[in-house]
Amino acid sequence: MELTSTLSRDLVLEVSKKLNEPQWLLEQRLAAWETFAKLPYPTTRTEEWKYTDITEVPFEGLPLEEPTDVPLRTREELPEAVQARIAQADLAGFVVFVGPQLVYAELPEELTRQGVVLTSLHEALKSHPKQVQGALFKTVNASDLVGSQKNRPENSKIPALGSALFTHGVFLYVPQGVEFSKPLGVFKYLGGNALSVGRTLIVSEANSQAVYIEEYISPTKVPASVNLSATELVLGSGARVRHAHIQTLGEGFYHFHRQRAHLGRDATLNDLVVNMGATISRAEVQSQMLGAGSYSEMLGLYFTAGNQHVDHYTLQHHVADHAYSDVLYKGAAKDRSRTVYAGLIKLEPGAQKTDAYQTNRNLLLSPDARADSVPQLEIGANDVKCSHGSSTAPVDAMQLFYLMSRGLPRHVGQQILVKAHLADVLTRIPIEPLRQHIEGIIEEKVKL
Amino acid sequence: MANQLEIRNLYASIEGGEQILKGVNLVVPRGQVHAIMGPNGAGKSTLGKIIAGDPSYTIEKGEILVDGENIMEMEPDERARKGLFLAFQYPVEVPGVTNANFLRLALQARKGEEVSVMEFYNKLQKALEVLEWDESILTRYLNDGFSGGEKKRNEILQLMVLEPTYAILDETDSGLDIDALKVVAKGVNAMRSPNFAALIITHYQRLLNYIIPDVVHVMVDGRIVTSGGPELALKLEAEGYEWVKELVVTGS
Repeated sequence: MELTSTLSRDLVLEVSKKLNEPQWLLEQRLAAWETFAKLPYPTTRTEEWKYTDITEVPFEGLPLEEPTDVPLRTREELPEAVQARIAQADLAGFVVFVGPQLVYAELPEELTRQGVVLTSLHEALKSHPKQVQGALFKTVNASDLVGSQKNRPENSKIPALGSALFTHGVFLYVPQGVEFSKPLGVFKYLGGNALSVGRTLIVSEANSQAVYIEEYISPTKVPASVNLSATELVLGSGARVRHAHIQTLGEGFYHFHRQRAHLGRDATLNDLVVNMGATISRAEVQSQMLGAGSYSEMLGLYFTAGNQHVDHYTLQHHVADHAYSDVLYKGAAKDRSRTVYAGLIKLEPGAQKTDAYQTNRNLLLSPDARADSVPQLEIGANDVKCSHGSSTAPVDAMQLFYLMSRGLPRHVGQQILVKAHLADVLTRIPIEPLRQHIEGIIEEKVKL
Repeated sequence: MANQLEIRNLYASIEGGEQILKGVNLVVPRGQVHAIMGPNGAGKSTLGKIIAGDPSYTIEKGEILVDGENIMEMEPDERARKGLFLAFQYPVEVPGVTNANFLRLALQARKGEEVSVMEFYNKLQKALEVLEWDESILTRYLNDGFSGGEKKRNEILQLMVLEPTYAILDETDSGLDIDALKVVAKGVNAMRSPNFAALIITHYQRLLNYIIPDVVHVMVDGRIVTSGGPELALKLEAEGYEWVKELVVTGS
């Protein structure tokens, strides 16, 4: 796509060497590089990318953001935007990355004593090599395509780049039977003007419980910048994980996120993906119910303004029986912005007694805003309950008139109606400070 | 400055549809309560909504004056700040915002300044007492899941907290049982003062037993065809609307 690319196989070797990685990891990276190199980028002719044009994204025109040896910072030296989030978020512990560098960590001793690990992936390669090797690339990799996506391998292009050239990552490990309910958080502060590539690996062993929030923060406006993220979640039997991916990157960012959870027997995932920032963002959020009785709640919130474009794809892949999954993605769009949602419920022949639901609802605040919604079902089992639905509608003129007739200016009325539209997702976020933060973002955005 | 709500020769139609108001003239001075009665389809509710600024109607001709100022070009929120209030026939449900938060936002918007929590709660307390309602209503989402009667009562709660100068009650009585009707009337009566006027739109005389109007207007086919004292309402209740329809035909 560029005449000269900033990316190469040599760069893969260089990054791996700089990070002192073991041989197995280098081999994985090189295999991913081969996949990346041989595949074309998806285009609007690729079914899954029909509404999202990425020809302007400079994947190979930016310097890769590489880690350097910088010292840890004090809390006061953290970027102000991050400090503000820390002050509001009421977390049990947190880690801060600036670019590819872990610069600050604060973890309660009570958790570390029980064996909970929250650190950089490369630190974990030294301290917990077995756990990392056993799980890394297990859920998000170059051959993870499901259903008809397999016919269009270019869907692996960007994740393959992420696997080949990630420069940093997060590792959260929760040992068997260890439970905590106050959230741990990771803040990633990106300066922009670079290609940032990160990876998160979450391993929650049998009967453990964890709450984890990952936030992407940057200056409000940056030159063209690309952020690739992959999140892998491995939930053991009976594990309960609450996971949130919160993207509030500035204008100029292109954000591509792929996450996939493997759910073991009776495991529960409560997932939340919030995409509010970036110029173009795409999140592919997938749960695979591999164990009987597993449960995946998948919530999504987005609100676009200006020329923003946000694209979500969800996959509820039912392999085992008696599992439950529920997707609820709701968004609003104003100005000339666009939102895209596509979702697939796929039931394998063994997935009897599945309950699977998928709902996408969009609110348009301006006649130039647009939302495309493509729900899909592929059902290979016969004794199941599945439903899907989607809707797109402009702001209800009667509701707005009612609010304005009480003296509220139009923008305040719209603010209330956007929150009203998103209310059933917001009320399903039990982490109060997080919900307030998201509501604050919505309020600011209506005013713009 | 004329202390009154005045409608002059108002013609209006539903957007892209039929003409509903065909030359309405009406003056409601401060300190008075007026009622508009009339058969279904006469245009009573349309008049109320148009005064409040409902965008789904097109005004073809005429003027609406609040204290002498023409408000025709104003957005609904600006009209509210000029002192107008419409109690909706079908109040809209808005999940996600609590009744209390909404009321406080509306009060601040109406006054154009911050309202202290103290002042706000004092107003609320007084209104709740009159309306024989408990505080649990405040933490529920705005009209969300409210019964028909609760919605109507909530309109009156808003009326009492926002204290407009000119209130239009659009069929607030319809669907209310007698106890709820009395409570609603109590709320409106508590508002009566030399600086407050109400325009009560109703199909039935029932509510007017509890809110005694100064003037009763009868509207038929988009026009006020006759006006009188409270006895007019009783006559309509006893004799129906046939005789006023004849007034239209004879053009008097």
